[in-house]
Amino acid sequence: MLAQQLLNALVVGSVYALFALGFTLIFGVHHILNLAHGAVFMWGAFVGLYAVTELHLAFPVAFVGASLVAGLLSVALDWVAFRPLRRRGAPEFSAIVSSIGAGYILMSIAQRVSDTKVMRYPFGTFPIEIYSVLGLRVTLLQLAIIGSVALIVTGLVAYIFHTSFGRQIRAVAINERTASLLGVNPTGVYFQTFFISGALAGAAGVLIGIAFNSVHFLMGEPYMLRAFVVIVLGGLGSILGAVVGGLLLGVIQTMTIAYVSTNLSDAVIFSLLFLILLVRPTGLFGTLRRETRVARE
Amino acid sequence: MSEWFASYQALVDLILLDCGLALSQFVVLRAGVFSVATPGLASIGAYTAAILTLRMGAPASVGVLAATCAGTAAALLLSIPLSRLRGVFQAIATVAMVQIVLSLALYATDITGGANGLNGIPKQVGTVHLLFAIGVVVYVLVSLGRSRVGYAFDAMRQDETVATSLGISVARYQALAFALSGAIAGLTGALMAYHNYSVVPEEFGFGMLITVLAYVVLGGRRSVLGPLVGAVTLSLLPELARPLADNRMIVYGALLMLVIIYLPHGIVDSLWIAYRRRLGRGAQAVATKGTADGTA
Repeated sequence: MLAQQLLNALVVGSVYALFALGFTLIFGVHHILNLAHGAVFMWGAFVGLYAVTELHLAFPVAFVGASLVAGLLSVALDWVAFRPLRRRGAPEFSAIVSSIGAGYILMSIAQRVSDTKVMRYPFGTFPIEIYSVLGLRVTLLQLAIIGSVALIVTGLVAYIFHTSFGRQIRAVAINERTASLLGVNPTGVYFQTFFISGALAGAAGVLIGIAFNSVHFLMGEPYMLRAFVVIVLGGLGSILGAVVGGLLLGVIQTMTIAYVSTNLSDAVIFSLLFLILLVRPTGLFGTLRRETRVARE
Repeated sequence: MSEWFASYQALVDLILLDCGLALSQFVVLRAGVFSVATPGLASIGAYTAAILTLRMGAPASVGVLAATCAGTAAALLLSIPLSRLRGVFQAIATVAMVQIVLSLALYATDITGGANGLNGIPKQVGTVHLLFAIGVVVYVLVSLGRSRVGYAFDAMRQDETVATSLGISVARYQALAFALSGAIAGLTGALMAYHNYSVVPEEFGFGMLITVLAYVVLGGRRSVLGPLVGAVTLSLLPELARPLADNRMIVYGALLMLVIIYLPHGIVDSLWIAYRRRLGRGAQAVATKGTADGTA
C-alpha cells in the first residue's frame, strides 16, 4: 500500500518538478517571478489536446508539438510583458504585475476557445496497459511520464552545464552586464531561457492533461501555486532544488491525501511553504543571494 | 434624483466595498511591503462577523468591531515572520497565507460551512454605513499620511537602506502598515458579510487578490486618492460598456500590463508628477524632477 502510494507520488512529483524547472530557470537567470507560467502550462495542455482531437496527430507528435508551441508562446510573453520593463529598468514589482496581467489574458482567451468546458482526450489516445512489478500496479502511462521527465531533465542539465549556450546562460545568471561585456548576447539568452521554460511548462501541461484526462482553462492556477512551494522548498533558482522539491512535494501531497485528509492537503503544503520561508528561506539547495534582500522600488 | 440613485445603489455599495479592499492593499504597498494578504485578512474579518452574528446573535456593531480586531491581530501575527523577508519572498509568503486561510475555511465545515459558506446573515449594512466606514478609513489614512508615519512609509518604499540610515525602524513601521492593512481588510470583510447576506470562501481567493492589486496599480500607490480612483474606474468599466463586461478578465489583464508598462505610477500619481513638473519648470527648479521620480 505504502509502496503503491510512493509510486503515485513519484509520478505526480515528477510533473511538478518539470513545471517548476521552467519557473525556477527564469527566476535563477533573469530574476523575474513569471506568474504567467501557469497560463503557458495550460496552453501547452490545450495545444496537445487540440492536436489530438482536431488534427488527429499521434500523441507523441502532439506532445512534442505542444512543447514547441508553448516555448514560442513563452518567448512572445517575454517580448510583450517583460521586455518593455527591462528597457526602462523597472523594479521587480512591475514584472510581477505585468506577468499577472499577461496570464489573465492568456486564461481568458483559453476560456473563450474552450467555451469554459472541461475537455477530454478521446478514448484510446494512449494505450492502457497495466503491468505488475513486485506486487505494484504500474500503468504504461505512468512509466511514460516518469521516463519522459527523466529524459527532459537530463537533457536540460546537459544543455546548461555542458554546452557553450548553457555557459552563456549561466554567465547571464551571475551578472548580465558583465556577461554582455564579455561578448554574450543577452537577447539570445532571454530567447533561450524563455523558450526552454515555456517548452518545459507545455510538456508538463500535456502530461497532466493526459494523466488526469482533463484539460480546462483554470488548470494552470493550482500548479502555479504549487510551483511556489516546490521552488521555495528546493531553493529559488536552483535546478537540482526544483527536481528534488517537485518529487518531495509529490510525496508530501500524496501522503497527506492518503493518511490525513484530502481537504487539508492544501493547508498542509502551504503551511510548509510558510515554515520554510521562515526557517530556511534559501531552501534545500539554494544559496544566499541578493534577491532574498532585494531593494524595493 | 432619489429614483436614479435607487437604481444604482447596488453598484455604489459594491464600489464602496471595493474601495475598502483597495485601501487595505494600498497601505502595505505604500510602505514598500510587498504583501498581497488582503483577501486572506478580509475573509478572516468576514467569517468572524458572520459567525458572531449567526451563532451568538451579536449585533452588527459588535461584529464589525470584532472583525476589525481579528484582522488587525492576524496581520500583526503575520508581520513577525514577514518582517524577516523581502520583496518576492514576502509576496510568495502572503500568497501562501491566502491559500492557507482559504483551505482552512473549506476544511472546517462545522465552523465555516465549508464550500457552501455561511448564509442567511441578516442585512444590516446600507450605503450610509458603508460611506461612513470608508470615510473614516480615508480620514485616518490621509492624516497618517501627512504625519511622520507617512514620511517613514514613503522613505521605506523608495529605499530601505536610506530609511534605516535616517533612523526609521523598518520592522516596526512595516508591522504598523501591516496592522493597518489588516484592520481595514477585517472591517471591509465584516461589511461584506453584513451586506451580501452570505460569506463564501471562493470569493476570497486568487481572483480577489488580482482584482485588488489591479485597483492599486491602476490608481497609484502614493496618495490615498490612488486606490479609490483605481477601484471606482475598474468597477465602473464593465458597467459603462457591455462588451467590456463580457471580457472582464481580458480587460483587467490588459489594463494591468499596459498601466505597469506605460504608466508605472498609476493614474493619480502620474497626474501629480506632471503637475509638480509644471510647477517646477515655472519656478526654474527642474531639480524637483529627480525627487518626483523617486517613486520609480
